[in-house]
Amino acid sequence: MRDRHALIYWSGFTVILVLLIVAPLVLPEFWRRFLTEILIWGLLAMSSDLLIGYTGMVSFGHSAFFGIGMYGAAAALLSVSPPSLGLAMLYGLGSSAAVAAFVAYFSTRLRDIYFAITTLIFSQIFYVIIFTWTEMTGGENGLTFARPKLGLPGMEGLPFTSATLHWFVLALVTASYLILRRVTQSPFGMVLQSIRENETRTRAIGYPIERYKIVAVMLSGLFAGLAGVLYAVQNRFAAPDFVFFVVSGEVVIYNVVGGLGTLLGPIVGAGFFLLLREASSRFLTEYYLIPVGLIFIAMVIFLPQGLLGFMRRWINR
Amino acid sequence: MTDGTRVPDLDDEPWYSGKATRRRFVGWGGGILGTAMLVPAPWQAAFGAEKAYKIGTLQPLSGAGAAIGKTAMVGTQMAVDRINKSGGINGRPVELIIADYESKPDVGRRKAEKLVVEDKIDAHQGGSLSNVCLACMPVFEEQKIVNMIGVCLDTTITTSKCSRYTFRSFDYAPAQAVAFAPYLVGKLGKKWHIAYADYAWGQSTRDAYADEIKKVGGQIVGTTGIPLGTADMTAFLSKITGDFDGLFGIFFGKDGITIGNQAFDLGLTKKYKWAGDGAIAESTNLPALGAKIEGFVGINRYVPVLDAPLNTPSHKKFFDEAIIRLKQIDPSGPLPDRYVQSNFEAMNALKIGMVKSGFRGREDTNKLIEALEGLEMKEGDDFPQGDKTLRKEDHQAFLREFIFDIKGGKHRIVEVVSKEKTMFPPACKFSSSS
Repeated sequence: MRDRHALIYWSGFTVILVLLIVAPLVLPEFWRRFLTEILIWGLLAMSSDLLIGYTGMVSFGHSAFFGIGMYGAAAALLSVSPPSLGLAMLYGLGSSAAVAAFVAYFSTRLRDIYFAITTLIFSQIFYVIIFTWTEMTGGENGLTFARPKLGLPGMEGLPFTSATLHWFVLALVTASYLILRRVTQSPFGMVLQSIRENETRTRAIGYPIERYKIVAVMLSGLFAGLAGVLYAVQNRFAAPDFVFFVVSGEVVIYNVVGGLGTLLGPIVGAGFFLLLREASSRFLTEYYLIPVGLIFIAMVIFLPQGLLGFMRRWINR
Repeated sequence: MTDGTRVPDLDDEPWYSGKATRRRFVGWGGGILGTAMLVPAPWQAAFGAEKAYKIGTLQPLSGAGAAIGKTAMVGTQMAVDRINKSGGINGRPVELIIADYESKPDVGRRKAEKLVVEDKIDAHQGGSLSNVCLACMPVFEEQKIVNMIGVCLDTTITTSKCSRYTFRSFDYAPAQAVAFAPYLVGKLGKKWHIAYADYAWGQSTRDAYADEIKKVGGQIVGTTGIPLGTADMTAFLSKITGDFDGLFGIFFGKDGITIGNQAFDLGLTKKYKWAGDGAIAESTNLPALGAKIEGFVGINRYVPVLDAPLNTPSHKKFFDEAIIRLKQIDPSGPLPDRYVQSNFEAMNALKIGMVKSGFRGREDTNKLIEALEGLEMKEGDDFPQGDKTLRKEDHQAFLREFIFDIKGGKHRIVEVVSKEKTMFPPACKFSSSS
């Protein structure tokens, strides 16, 4: 029975992956770019799922990790000529990991709403620093920069096209998913889920839960930073708006819409939400957020397990 | 359990023809959709088969910048309606494609891509929030489309981050500082303290005024940065004391209202001369400021008055129509402000460039750029604010400025600075890739 489930799962995964690989060859330019953006937001949402869905810690600090990754990449792309993709990744991931470690050290001592508020405060502190430190960060206007070339072994100097960028992002998002999946199924991941279910009992068993939480926040922040780097590379700008806590709120919505604790669900949620917003904005120029909000409320009431949870239940029926 | 009265059968009603079925719904829906598709767009009746120019406009119609975005849209829509009524551009109508970017740079960037890639616009006119303008500029540059900005005021748009494809047909902070500094130092006082909104626009405007005040023999004794959106500025304002002549404020929107009220309450506006960026006393802010803004001296490219030199028939026409249109979006009936004026004129500048270059579509973008570079705009129905020059070196316009004060709750022009006296050296290098 378990083998059959695994077979269905991996077959479905492969089909979707193939469709995503082929997509840039058949989609018009705008939708090709949009799909890549969905993958990036999906990666951000998936990174927060490690905390929200698996550890039971609702984070409003993901905008900070995402934004710091973006600004780290921007710093690398502006300081070296020609801009280097490798350096952008290094700076982006390094800075977001460092910030995640800093936030984790202080915030993981707290639980539930107190943890959420602490992460929110940290993200606002970083937002204010970035917003007002104009000489360094460009302030409200942010930073604009050139897109680096592909820079992979054997492909040095190859410029990114919308298709190659899509494949590059897809490869990293897929790798991130597989890594996070492995993490959540490892003994470490089991402890995280145990913390989610009953923190007191997990501590009583003898697990140093603060350390587990710190690693979880750092890991989550690292992947959020990766999403920030990819966004910077795709759009060639970094802005303080991405560090603002509202972005964290949207990420929580992607998780809820897609399905908590599923890793793939948040990507589906991001795709659903962004597509819904894009589609409704074409018909209701300035009022389109009203139906989007109503649909979200309806989904929370009627599909509390999210789209993926609903799909899973429907398949198992 | 009936009371004897007959429940009317719906089948008897003339408007009812049976229950709503999916088939009927699809049928009616298809019929309505088909009819909608057959009804021509408003401009088609006048222009027959002429292909319309597609002009995109990005505005924040929702989110934090919605008020500015909706006001800016009034100017753009007014200009487009007027163009279409008077025969279009080169005999072709203008189709305006509106996109709301929710006051967010990521959404703005995506909508810009939609406009250029999917809607295939010929040119863009709009943009209100500077950070979104800057985020979208690379999209227009990449797709080689002229971008005529309508509101974005950030200095770097036509200096360090300038683009060959982007034009600004209205003023910027350095030009206003050049125009205002002689008045500030010569007529109000030599020593100034600057209070500013502590973010990119406030900081760059502060630097521009500090430089110009020093150049004309004045002195800056101190500066106070106040975070954007601070509801209670008392903690910052109470520290502003000492021996100086005037307090200069650089704020806009609700921050302008806050500083106007709180500086008055703390006695600062009585103790010192009170001057600043015209955005503090924008016509939309005046009702909230009441008598507390009385005596404020500011500078602006546009003030909603019909006194000389704005007592022209062209301005009267613009003024009256703008009031009617603004009332449709705000029942309180605000007077037109600089956002309506600059978008109206930006669209007209684009029109003149398109006529001058014989613009047919995107393939003529280079010709359009050449036509716009150095464009002289003459006061009239297209440019009711006055003459302007769109400088070739940085695509920055220079125009006359109005120094005004607030008297009896209304703007009063106290001095007009000609566009020649607002000139500031260009600081732009177009990138070689563009």
